[in-house]
Amino acid sequence: MSNLLREHAEQQFAEELHVLAETDQRPRPPNWHLSPWAAATYLLGGTLPNGFAITPKYIGSRRLIEIAIATLATDRALLLLGVPGTAKTWVSEHLAAAISGDSTALVQGTAGTGEEAIRYGWNYARLLADGPSLAALVPSPIMRAMRDGSIARVEELTRIPSDVQDSLITILSEKTLPIPELDTEVQATKGFNVIATANDRDRGVNELSSALKRRFNTVVLPTPETLEEEVGIVQQRVAALGRALELPAEAPALEEIRRLVTIFRELRAGTTLDGKAKLKSPSGSLSVAEAISVLNNGLALAAHFGDGRLQAADMAAGLVGAVVKDPVQDIIVWREYLETIIKERDGWKDLYRACRELP
Amino acid sequence: MSDPVILGIRHHGPGSARSVLRALAELQPDLILVEGPPDAQELLPLAADAGMKPPVALLIYDPAEPRRAVYYPFAEFSPEWQAIRYGLANGVPVRFMDLPQAVSLVPAAETAAETAPEVETGEPVDCTAEAETAETGADTDEAETQIVESALPDIRRDPLRWVAEAAGYGDGERWWEHLVEQRQDSRELFQAILELMTALRAEADAQSLPEERDQQREAAMRTQLRAAQKEGHERIAVVCGAWHAPALANPPPAREDNARLKGLPKHKLAVTWTPWTHGRLTHASGYGAGVAAPGFYQHLWESAGEPTNRWLARIAQLLRDHDLAASTASVIEAARLAEALAALRDRPRATLEELNEAALAVLCHGDATPLRLIEEPLLIGERLGEVPEHTPTLPLQQDLQRQQKRLRLPPEAGQRLLELDLRKPTDLERSQLLHRLNLLGIVWGRTEAASGKGTFKENWRLQWQPELAVAVIEANLWGNTVLDAASARARDLAQRSEQLGSLTELVEQTLLAELPDAIGAVMERLQNVAALTSDIPHLMDSLPPLARVLRYGNVRQTDAGLVGHVVDGLATRIAIGLPAACSALDDEAARAMFGKVQATNAAIGLLQNPDQTALWQGALLKLADQTGLHGLLAGHACRLLFDQGVLPPPETARRMGLALSLASEPAQAAAWLEGFLHGSGLLLLHNDVLWGILDQWVAGLAAEAFPPLLPLLRRTFAHFPAPERRQLGERVKRGGAGRGRAAVEADVDAARADLVLPLAARLLGLA
Repeated sequence: MSNLLREHAEQQFAEELHVLAETDQRPRPPNWHLSPWAAATYLLGGTLPNGFAITPKYIGSRRLIEIAIATLATDRALLLLGVPGTAKTWVSEHLAAAISGDSTALVQGTAGTGEEAIRYGWNYARLLADGPSLAALVPSPIMRAMRDGSIARVEELTRIPSDVQDSLITILSEKTLPIPELDTEVQATKGFNVIATANDRDRGVNELSSALKRRFNTVVLPTPETLEEEVGIVQQRVAALGRALELPAEAPALEEIRRLVTIFRELRAGTTLDGKAKLKSPSGSLSVAEAISVLNNGLALAAHFGDGRLQAADMAAGLVGAVVKDPVQDIIVWREYLETIIKERDGWKDLYRACRELP
Repeated sequence: MSDPVILGIRHHGPGSARSVLRALAELQPDLILVEGPPDAQELLPLAADAGMKPPVALLIYDPAEPRRAVYYPFAEFSPEWQAIRYGLANGVPVRFMDLPQAVSLVPAAETAAETAPEVETGEPVDCTAEAETAETGADTDEAETQIVESALPDIRRDPLRWVAEAAGYGDGERWWEHLVEQRQDSRELFQAILELMTALRAEADAQSLPEERDQQREAAMRTQLRAAQKEGHERIAVVCGAWHAPALANPPPAREDNARLKGLPKHKLAVTWTPWTHGRLTHASGYGAGVAAPGFYQHLWESAGEPTNRWLARIAQLLRDHDLAASTASVIEAARLAEALAALRDRPRATLEELNEAALAVLCHGDATPLRLIEEPLLIGERLGEVPEHTPTLPLQQDLQRQQKRLRLPPEAGQRLLELDLRKPTDLERSQLLHRLNLLGIVWGRTEAASGKGTFKENWRLQWQPELAVAVIEANLWGNTVLDAASARARDLAQRSEQLGSLTELVEQTLLAELPDAIGAVMERLQNVAALTSDIPHLMDSLPPLARVLRYGNVRQTDAGLVGHVVDGLATRIAIGLPAACSALDDEAARAMFGKVQATNAAIGLLQNPDQTALWQGALLKLADQTGLHGLLAGHACRLLFDQGVLPPPETARRMGLALSLASEPAQAAAWLEGFLHGSGLLLLHNDVLWGILDQWVAGLAAEAFPPLLPLLRRTFAHFPAPERRQLGERVKRGGAGRGRAAVEADVDAARADLVLPLAARLLGLA
């Protein structure tokens, strides 16, 4: 087992990718490691003809993954849109791993992301010593991906300032990156494409210009549709992370996961699951990813300070922290929920008491 | 004698239609049998008429009871329609074959089907139950099955589901869509369908016996097929629902069929073609054999070569019509995505599903709202069919069509706003036609509140629904022209109506519809009912509309004399009955009566008839003097009399002082005040005496009586316009009497003011 805290998708699932590539008989687009069908199988899981089982990476609508892969197969760029924690980054990483066998060509979008992160920068020592030359040029991940014919990823596209965003337009429409300083250009090899992610919940981000928007096919990733689906996602991810972090605690009981997911879904939707009572919704997005981290947090507490089994008390601290993001508004929302819903539910007394004990 | 070729189809499938055409061209049959009602055989040649534009439907109805009717809708992409057109165009005889509706319509209506579909879809009996279901290509008469017996085994309800699930598809419709409707080769396809259905039916028969009605229908089809063979036809093509195909391919001995069909009762039915709409072809409209997206099917039928590109281009155009950006480049990208998706899903070409997903991802940037905006024009693609002029119709229908043509008011499937100016003769006639049709229950248009003032304007929202054709047939019972029928209907309604309210409404309708033959009878009836009625509030409700008719009748050129007579009677009765009707009312009833008194007063004012005005004022005077009357009414009566100059100001002041004197109950006094001052405080501002009385009264209230009265008083004053309230407040601040204002008025130099008067008079048009 490697010593890394978290392995890239193509490392963690190397075996699956390998077996898929071997059994894959379908035609592959140029420079793709897998055919679109095999890529879909890699993401959605399934059993290969030789009996090898592929774990599902994305639990949810098959339709969406198919649209995403078909988009990449048509050399159009893909924009994954959704509220935080709906597995946008996760899907983009696995798509890149499945298609190019490499998910590392990554640009992290922030308000400070400059043009050199998308186009190229300069090694100033070389620039001063030798003058402008290809050797003095520091290629961006996107430039590298263009040369290699692989997938580049842009995280949080809408956080990048608009003028920097727009430097993607030429790359996406003409598949070329001009280097006017050297009077040359880098033309994309077949197989190059871009997967961008953006969240549509935050305000004050930089809306995409319509020229750039037009170059993307947009897939909106929703929050899980049913309780069971969400419980399944949380369960699978918690087990996988627990293994990765080598926590000496038992995997949490399904009942505990179900309880947590129920709370998250109810607060997110602003109504109880049976549809009988209305609730206030907190300011946070309460995504699946947060549910997973609450459980992991609880597991760590149980392992190191508890009896190794996840108890309500272990979960309570993380739970309150996940719900209460705004100390004034959200605390009211949470107290109301605690006193009206959790208190009244059969078998939830332990959770109620544990939450009450917290300040 | 060769075996007939059986072409099993889905009723509204463009792919089936195309395959049928190809198969027919290959086969060159000498007779085509189409599943359909033999009752309509005579009307079949009309299908080839130049004036016939689908969607249309065959309408079969019982002339004695037109509500008992069955539709057989045909769209342009229906395989039957194409088969019929092929036969008629190539001189091949075409025949309908099925159990005649003469046999099946009436008994079905006598059993469960009569009530159930009416409740379910609100349309004529049997439309859903009988008019050929088979959305999934297998003619299972789904709706009928559901109504008659809901516990039938799954396989009959949705036989394709079984195959689809075996093939890994979610539902039968999609499976059929991919394997049959999208396929391009033809004859072997029908052989395959036949074999598939044979296997499915064997399975179904093993589970339970088929319905008796189904067996009868198939027996009838076989009998007709045998007859055709006996006549010596060599190459017979049979177009029928896929589910029936096996029954025709492997017939049992003729004896059994004859026995089954023997002795079935027959009824006489009438048949005609009627226009239909795409909207009524959808499942959502309650049509059992409906399809999800007729607009898409029409599109598939029309653009045989490249459905994908054209469909996406259409989406883009519709989006642009709604001012949403949709560039050609995006359409190209969407088409590429749709094809890539179809390839990824192992489909021969993009289906509606892929097209919509591609449109969502590329054209709408993942946001489904714009797509919902264009959903209806896109998926349903509303259009109304046309039938040739010489289609056999009833006299009333012909009359209606003549009038529609004359008044340039063609029936349209979409909603349309019509603004009529009743001063123009054509518009007036249009309005009369629409009102007459409404009286007959043919609700083609509804009136809407006209914008702007003036009684000469009328707004209508028009939408022609196909089932109105039935309403027209039904209305034919009343007469052979729209005018006659509406008159007869109005007279009948009047005779049967006992309520004053509904009669008043009828009078109004009759007047609007201009029915000279009916208005006399209706008015007479109204007068009789009004004479018997002791319910004054009802009478008061009837007066205002009639008064309006009388006053503004000239716009519509209605006969005022008739109404005047009735109005006289009504006004008299109200004046006599009013004091009694107002006694002993509680707060709520008094408030309701208050509104009626106001409306009646306005109506009387409108009439400008001195006799009636005097009567009415007498009644008000009685009200004002009546002891124990609710304060609200007494106060208002006083005010109305004051306004009309019956009570001089000093007398009014006396009455106000009386009502507000310390001896009377404070709540009663406050109510009086509310009734008196209703709506405006100007009176107080301009009349110092009244102001003084009110001032005295408020000042004289005991400390404990004031707080409970405050809300009542506030209710009165809160309705005044803000400037009035401010003036009242300022006046109070100055301490009672409005001397300041009077002083200013006294300073006016009369001589100089007179100089302005001639110009002012010219400005006002008085000179």
